[in-house]
Amino acid sequence: MLAKHSLWVAVLIMGSAAAGLAQRSLDYDHVVVPQDRIDARALGYPPLDVIPDGESGITSLAVAPDGDIYGATSGARSHLFVLSPIHGFVQPLGYLPDTKNVTHAVVISAEGDVYIGSGTSGHLLKYTPSNPYHEQIGTHDDKAVPVKDLGQAVEGQGIFALAIDRNAGFIYGLSSPGTHFFSYSISTGKFSDWGVVCPRVPKGEKFETDNIMSRMLALDVKGNVYVSGEDGYLFKFDKAAQKLEKLKVQAPAIPGREPWTRVDAFMTDVVSGLIYGGTSDGYLFQFDPASQKVVNLGKPLIQYDIAGLVPGPAGKIYGVGGTAQGMARLFSYRPATGAYEELGFIDVNRRPYYTWQAYVIGAVAVGHRGTIYIGENERISKLYLFYPWE
Amino acid sequence: MMKLLRFVFPGVFAVAMVFHAWVAGSSARTVRVDYRLFTGLGNMDGHWNALTVARDGKVYIGLAHHGAGGHAVYYDPSKDRMVDLGNLNKLCGQACMRIGPQSKVHAKFGEAKDGKIYFATHAGLWWNFARFATVEGYPGGHWLVYDPRSGETEDLGIGARYEGIITAAYDPVYNRMYGLNYPRGHFIYYDIATGQTHDMGRVNNWDSLCRTIGIDGQGNVYGTFGKGQIYKYDPRTDKLTNLPLFIPIRKKGISLGRDYNKSETAWREVVWDKQKKVFYGIDESAGYLFSFDPHAGKYGVVKKLGQLAIPSMADGRGVPYASLALTLGNDDKLYYAAPAQEFDFSGSKGVAASHLLVFNLKTDQMQDLGEMRVADGRGLMGAESAATAQDGTIYFVGAMEAKPEPGKPFVYGGKIGSIPYRLALFIYHPEAK
Repeated sequence: MLAKHSLWVAVLIMGSAAAGLAQRSLDYDHVVVPQDRIDARALGYPPLDVIPDGESGITSLAVAPDGDIYGATSGARSHLFVLSPIHGFVQPLGYLPDTKNVTHAVVISAEGDVYIGSGTSGHLLKYTPSNPYHEQIGTHDDKAVPVKDLGQAVEGQGIFALAIDRNAGFIYGLSSPGTHFFSYSISTGKFSDWGVVCPRVPKGEKFETDNIMSRMLALDVKGNVYVSGEDGYLFKFDKAAQKLEKLKVQAPAIPGREPWTRVDAFMTDVVSGLIYGGTSDGYLFQFDPASQKVVNLGKPLIQYDIAGLVPGPAGKIYGVGGTAQGMARLFSYRPATGAYEELGFIDVNRRPYYTWQAYVIGAVAVGHRGTIYIGENERISKLYLFYPWE
Repeated sequence: MMKLLRFVFPGVFAVAMVFHAWVAGSSARTVRVDYRLFTGLGNMDGHWNALTVARDGKVYIGLAHHGAGGHAVYYDPSKDRMVDLGNLNKLCGQACMRIGPQSKVHAKFGEAKDGKIYFATHAGLWWNFARFATVEGYPGGHWLVYDPRSGETEDLGIGARYEGIITAAYDPVYNRMYGLNYPRGHFIYYDIATGQTHDMGRVNNWDSLCRTIGIDGQGNVYGTFGKGQIYKYDPRTDKLTNLPLFIPIRKKGISLGRDYNKSETAWREVVWDKQKKVFYGIDESAGYLFSFDPHAGKYGVVKKLGQLAIPSMADGRGVPYASLALTLGNDDKLYYAAPAQEFDFSGSKGVAASHLLVFNLKTDQMQDLGEMRVADGRGLMGAESAATAQDGTIYFVGAMEAKPEPGKPFVYGGKIGSIPYRLALFIYHPEAK
């Protein structure tokens, strides 16, 4: 009797257990990036020799001419790191002196020198790589990156973002909080201040005290530079005329929200010459430098903010959206068809070895071999490697 | 047939035997516990950690209701009376807003020096985060305070926008409520004097989200992250530090078939021993019992004391996920309601009566007092909280089989397998065993 009873119970339980034993359901996996397309790297050698928690938010990524990926973090201290796609791991290079934040402010010259804009001191720092892979990774508590201080870009201001014209040897930037547009000549070592893009803090709540400017700068194929400023208007630095001008076009915004609109991310399509941008309202847009027209491409996500845009295979554009209080999602856009594809949350599940979900993304870059590097910006942060497809 | 079943499907065989014991009546050793139902709240469907005994003996309890507002209640043993403080949606000022409900109190209540009771709310359902940070989604967990003198509950505001407060603990030294938000695992605290919430950033991932915050007598706060590593928050410096200390955990690499968001490398519950000034805790995956002296050595010292598991299951692959039902008695003994089956209310994988395990800290010996059953033979199907009163009474909150009452609608919180259950407060008097 017991055996008969138990057999039926066993069969019953086997049937019900089959549905409940999955470590993570397909329903949930459906909402994250396909797991054969994404991986993550700790910022160093875990558990000890990593960029410390609280100092590891990745807020800048840049690709060197040789393909190495450089990144800088923000937090209690900023750190510089490098990832060689050949090695595949992150090598911390040390902390950046007098710096707590580096926001979209790492650029690399044609010679391979790494320029870092300190959001804290406003100084431009230069790091010349010297085969860091031969160095032992320490906890780097006491090791500063050996940098040359090139001076303060704008007096009394931090550096908010940088871009580089490698061919011309010029670095361009925005300062914070004053929204000055500046340049730096690598050959002469001279800074030039070309004016302000948002002179007034837009009306808002009393806690809203920021002058609104773009988080990145864009260069067109001729070397002209674009940013967004007051009321979401685009500004152009004309390379030939050596002049900053306010254009008559604005980044897309929900009507009425223009004063608080900024371009979060820029991407230049070197084939078409078009510049793509993502706004704080979560719109993707296309800007044609030749005609100076903006086309609103709609919203890839229901969320605000677009943290990064990079070119992918077959002309696709990949981006990450979502605010610091939400959960970041990856998407792609195919200009040929105007179609968006939502790719899910940025999550890596390699149980039993490691798992980590990123909620806030601080920077995105694409490597020479097409891998998209996604930098998490939280107290504990990882570098994600996403392998796009056509 | 029995041999075949045992040989081919050993795990299923074990479950089947347990289930058989449940439905056929158990001949195993039992320990008698009393119980009180939450009258009028029979549809509450879950409960995690939200159990605290105040200095006046009142027992504060949070009851979860997925998809709707949970409730906060207290039990007054002097009057043998259960009092409903209210629906959490109403207490949080969102009763009619048709937005993500305040479904739970998911952590201990805290009693301040002035007798006020602080607590925090949590969401119930997440819809795979499809509604996260959307208009119809969850607006965020609130800090709340109940004043026993006035009987009023005050909403202190949202502590974590769009997120629940899955873990919380009150510190009387600095007069703060600490918490972890969910899903992002940020360490947050509410400073009662200033009314400000502070976010110290992320400490956990889903695979290690720590469900209990431990606070020592000096106001230092502790939790675990990663593979059982301990972090410390020092209110004097307002800084989080990763300590080079690890609790005993079961090594990864054993497929246990649990939900992804069930952490397996964190401490499940810790209790602070005011006399010895050490924590006692239990790991999630295997029920390893440990002590943590935060003031010994440079960083503190962790010692493995044993395993809080039903002896027949100890060291086995199938030892159930640890419960939150651990408390330190007034007799230098730890009391723990050990699940005999993977238990998570309606998400349980089977039905079995929890055992009451007692660990004597003087002798380092564990005793299994047997299945926890009430007078009519019904078993405690699983508990997810425990607390000790000043008179030594041990309280648990968990699930028991719901029975229809003649002439009344049959209300229950959910089903475990085919058996309807409802929540109850279980009462155990150590001296009466």
